[in-house]
Amino acid sequence: MNNGNGRRLNGETEEDDDDEGSEGDLDAWERTYADERSWESLQEDESGLLRPVDNKTLYHAQYRRRIRSLSSQATTSRIQKGLIRYLYIVVDLSRAAAEMDYRPSRMAVVAKHVEAFIREFFDQNPLSQLGLVTIKDGIAHCLTDLGGSPESHVKALMGKLECSGESSLQNALDLVHGYLNQIPSYGHREVLILYSALSTCDPGDILETIQKCKKSKMRCSVIGLSAEIFICKHLCQETGGSYSVAMDESHFKELILEHAPPPPAIAEFAIANLIKMGFPQRAAESSIAICSCHKEAKVGGGYTCPRCKARVCELPTECRICGLTLISSPHLARSYHHLFPIVPFDEVSSSVLNDPHNRLPRSCFGCQQSLPNPGNKPSLRVACPKCKQHFCLDCDIYIHESLHNCPGCESFRHSKTPIATEE
Amino acid sequence: MKFQIEDVTVYFPYDHIYPEQYAYMVELKRALDARGHCLLEMPTGTGKTIALLSLITSYTLSKPNNPVKLIYCTRTVHEMEKTLAELKLLHAYQTTHIGDRARILAVGLSSRKNLCVNSRVLAAENRDSVDASCRRLTASWVRAAAAANPNLPTCEFFEEYEKAGSNAVLPPGVYTLQDLRAYGKEKGWCPYFLARHMVQFANVVVYSYQYLLDPKVAGYISKEMQKESVVVFDEAHNIDNVCIEALSVSVRRQTLEGARRNLSKMRQEIEKFKATDAGRLRAEYNRLVEGLAQRGNLPFTDNWLSNPALPDDILKEAVPGNIRRAEHFLHVLRRLVQYLEGRLETDNVEKEGPVGFVASINTHAGIDQKTLKFCYDRLHSLMLTLEITDTDEFLHIQTICDFATLVGTYTRGFSIIIEPFDERMPHIPDPVLQLSCHDASLAIKPVFDRFQSVVITSGTLSPIDLYPRLLNFHPVVSRSFTMSLTRDCICPMVLTRGSDQLPVSTKFDMRSDLGVVRNYGRLLLEMASVVPDGIVCFFVSYSYMDGIVNSWNENGILKEIMQHKLVFIETQDVVETTLALDNYRKACDCGRGAIFFSVARGKVAEGIDFDRHYGRLVIMFGVPFQYTLSKILLARLEYLRDTFQIKEGDFLTFDALRQAAQCVGRVIRSKADYGMMIFADKRYSRHDKRSKLPGWILSHLRDAHLNLSTDMALHIAREFLRKMAQPYDKAGGSGRKTLLSQEDVEKMSDGILNEMQY
Repeated sequence: MNNGNGRRLNGETEEDDDDEGSEGDLDAWERTYADERSWESLQEDESGLLRPVDNKTLYHAQYRRRIRSLSSQATTSRIQKGLIRYLYIVVDLSRAAAEMDYRPSRMAVVAKHVEAFIREFFDQNPLSQLGLVTIKDGIAHCLTDLGGSPESHVKALMGKLECSGESSLQNALDLVHGYLNQIPSYGHREVLILYSALSTCDPGDILETIQKCKKSKMRCSVIGLSAEIFICKHLCQETGGSYSVAMDESHFKELILEHAPPPPAIAEFAIANLIKMGFPQRAAESSIAICSCHKEAKVGGGYTCPRCKARVCELPTECRICGLTLISSPHLARSYHHLFPIVPFDEVSSSVLNDPHNRLPRSCFGCQQSLPNPGNKPSLRVACPKCKQHFCLDCDIYIHESLHNCPGCESFRHSKTPIATEE
Repeated sequence: MKFQIEDVTVYFPYDHIYPEQYAYMVELKRALDARGHCLLEMPTGTGKTIALLSLITSYTLSKPNNPVKLIYCTRTVHEMEKTLAELKLLHAYQTTHIGDRARILAVGLSSRKNLCVNSRVLAAENRDSVDASCRRLTASWVRAAAAANPNLPTCEFFEEYEKAGSNAVLPPGVYTLQDLRAYGKEKGWCPYFLARHMVQFANVVVYSYQYLLDPKVAGYISKEMQKESVVVFDEAHNIDNVCIEALSVSVRRQTLEGARRNLSKMRQEIEKFKATDAGRLRAEYNRLVEGLAQRGNLPFTDNWLSNPALPDDILKEAVPGNIRRAEHFLHVLRRLVQYLEGRLETDNVEKEGPVGFVASINTHAGIDQKTLKFCYDRLHSLMLTLEITDTDEFLHIQTICDFATLVGTYTRGFSIIIEPFDERMPHIPDPVLQLSCHDASLAIKPVFDRFQSVVITSGTLSPIDLYPRLLNFHPVVSRSFTMSLTRDCICPMVLTRGSDQLPVSTKFDMRSDLGVVRNYGRLLLEMASVVPDGIVCFFVSYSYMDGIVNSWNENGILKEIMQHKLVFIETQDVVETTLALDNYRKACDCGRGAIFFSVARGKVAEGIDFDRHYGRLVIMFGVPFQYTLSKILLARLEYLRDTFQIKEGDFLTFDALRQAAQCVGRVIRSKADYGMMIFADKRYSRHDKRSKLPGWILSHLRDAHLNLSTDMALHIAREFLRKMAQPYDKAGGSGRKTLLSQEDVEKMSDGILNEMQY
């Protein structure tokens, strides 16, 4: 009896030891579930069936907070945005990129989100161009030149996913600086560095390179994957970029996507000037021509430069022959909304909702679906401050994220005269 | 901002105040009211200095009837300048608010080396030679000779200052050392003597510890200070060691040889004087008959260092007859040096009390205790008489006389230890005779007795109850404050096991174990791969550092570490270490990353900050106990046990943990900063060790972090660094108030105050 007790005690203390250590830091797989606690968000309905709790309001609240913070920056002082961006993405493929603290490895995670970023980038900045640079064995390689086609970038990146050696920030900056220096002055020079390593092995004085970048108005931003590094912070501070460090994969995704909308224009470049652009016509389906970008004969597709009649495959791009910037008009239109964002909609307060004298619209102006009954659930509708139309939450998100036009205001503008006469 | 603490209106130059600063001021004010001494511990980076300064100056302002003088003691010149700069800011703020009434005079006082503006004098390389070359230009007899013979060089700044006479005063204001020099240059007055003169009249005096604690300096710089003074010892965690060092003397062979040279030189001088100016020697003799107390009549540039640790009655006594004549005094000294030489010729370690030692001198050399006691003052007088200006060459004989005086004066709290060789190198004979003081309270007692309030403050004073016992005083307030933080920006960890789960320690029987060495190496290697920029490592001793770095080099760990970061090492050579530090900083700046190997109790551990990216992680390898076989330490421990009832183990642990806390405290210097601390030794997990760490570290030491292995620590480090890299709000969220505005302070209740203290 005694003996058994003793052993038990022993066993327990050992266990305690183990517990003490692992307490507070759960394994990665445990943490995912512990954080979400999806089982706790189940509710029983009247008939005893389980159903997931509606998280929509929560998400919407988060989304609204973001919109508000964005608009508070944007609307207070009508900021000019740099719409024509020339961005180099520098991917660090040094030894540190093989670390497994992101699953399956930092490199794979970075590649995955760079792909998403590239697509999002071209969606938001149709006038801009992007190139890829990797750092490996202390040397920076240019993976793709500046270009407007997401596919070619993604393909080039996926083919080159292996890592080794040291990382050198200076080499990367020097390389990118060389390319970006040739960009015409209306373009915004930007570098986005995805940095896995914790140190940089440089051939010379990196501080000089940073000053050089600063002088040629390159905006350098860094997203670190493990910890804050002084030199990166310094680089971002000097060149006006942003520095952030990812906590985990989803945070990394968030951080990288923050770089998709155009940044505010740098003051020196903000002087308005005219840029010569060509709007090429799509060639006829059956015509055969040698395209200037791949140097292959192609049937159909493609565009013809209005100045030199050269054939290019994709827009936007720069004509290989005459150097004219070629875009299509929808591209231009899509960039427009960054300059004139829609004001965030106001939440309809519960006091207004509960006021019986107010006759509120029953359905959402956007999708025409009936809005939830006011009373038990407050504030599930929003109203545009200009046209005073009410919208449901889904439409709110859709309007701000994708549509960039308020249907209420648009229709109001069309029917402006009749309303005016009514009053 | 301006607010009330009880009946005092406090002027604080910033718009916001940390809650702990407010609490600190409240406690300080109570101590001032009670006219007692106090001990206050508050972490670095929380604005201790400005809290102290603004409370004490405001206290004086609100009580105009009995003005209090502030004597602020710092450890280094750099800190002195920083303090004065803060005071300047505060003063500007106070004058804008209450106008001329707030006018004060604040001066910093440092050695001639830092204050001199005479380019000829400044050319000398070290402090003693600057002092000497100043004396060569300003001593009264030199000036007298120069008056007769205009070709002799004098210091034009000093001459101007003398000419201005009582008009040479500083207008009110705050003067840093640089301001003093600039003012001196502008007016053509000697800044050093001007500052020394103004110290008596200034409202605030900032100078180094030595001016109050070292008996050789204190008596004559700080003699004139009024009783109604507040004395502040900043960064005072090592104050007991400073006190002990001030009263300890060590004599080596070189000292004795030098002393002999000095003696023969003086003998020649005496012969010369006898031939040319016998009257001078006779005048000195007469003065000595009348008593040493009359020394005050000497011109003050000749004034030298006297000994306030001596009881007053001795100073009034006349010098004993047998050393009044110069030749006789030289004979006595010669015999003393001879006797000491004899004692050094021993093969065994000898330990003796002062009483026995004096008796032995008496029988062998025929010098009695009273004669010994007067040696220092007699030498001083003789050197003045002989018009010796190059005092730096006479340092050796001064050391001997210093020794003699101390031995003759104190019967308790000292011991004389003669070691024929260094313990670690028994083959190289290097005899040394040490008079070591064991009682820190001896040197500081006059300070406690004389001044109304003494404030002892530092970032690490834990355990706070031990200091009053060591220094033998009764504080009216002793408190420890924590740091209010907007985020948990320090992450202390106790690492007890390596990656193979075997315990790690620098305990004597384990330190040479290869497994422990390897585990420490792996720890550093893994940490180097996850921590950005700078890492600082502290080892328990130079010999241990040499050993472990050597074995890391042999088994290739060092090479692997170098792939991640560059490695720099502190050596005993100051120049080399400074160079290493410079390059370390450079490597951190340019993003290469670096590791600095350093030693607890070394220069780096005491004075160099590794804030921001210069130190993201500090690893303390082992517990930095003192070398316990050292004879001096053993003697001191014995004395502490017998006199103050402090157990040996308690003192050793206290001392070791104080050093460890000091080392790890280097990484965090402000609230915006962040850093990790790893205590890598299994002994830290024991309660008796851990509980002696300062409160602000303990409060962040979570239970889960008490017993870690390398991989667990690595995981915590990763998470911590990610979390700290996120942007944060400096003012603090809604939950934790860390910056108080004026209204907050006004409505602050005692509730918050009590929270701050523990």
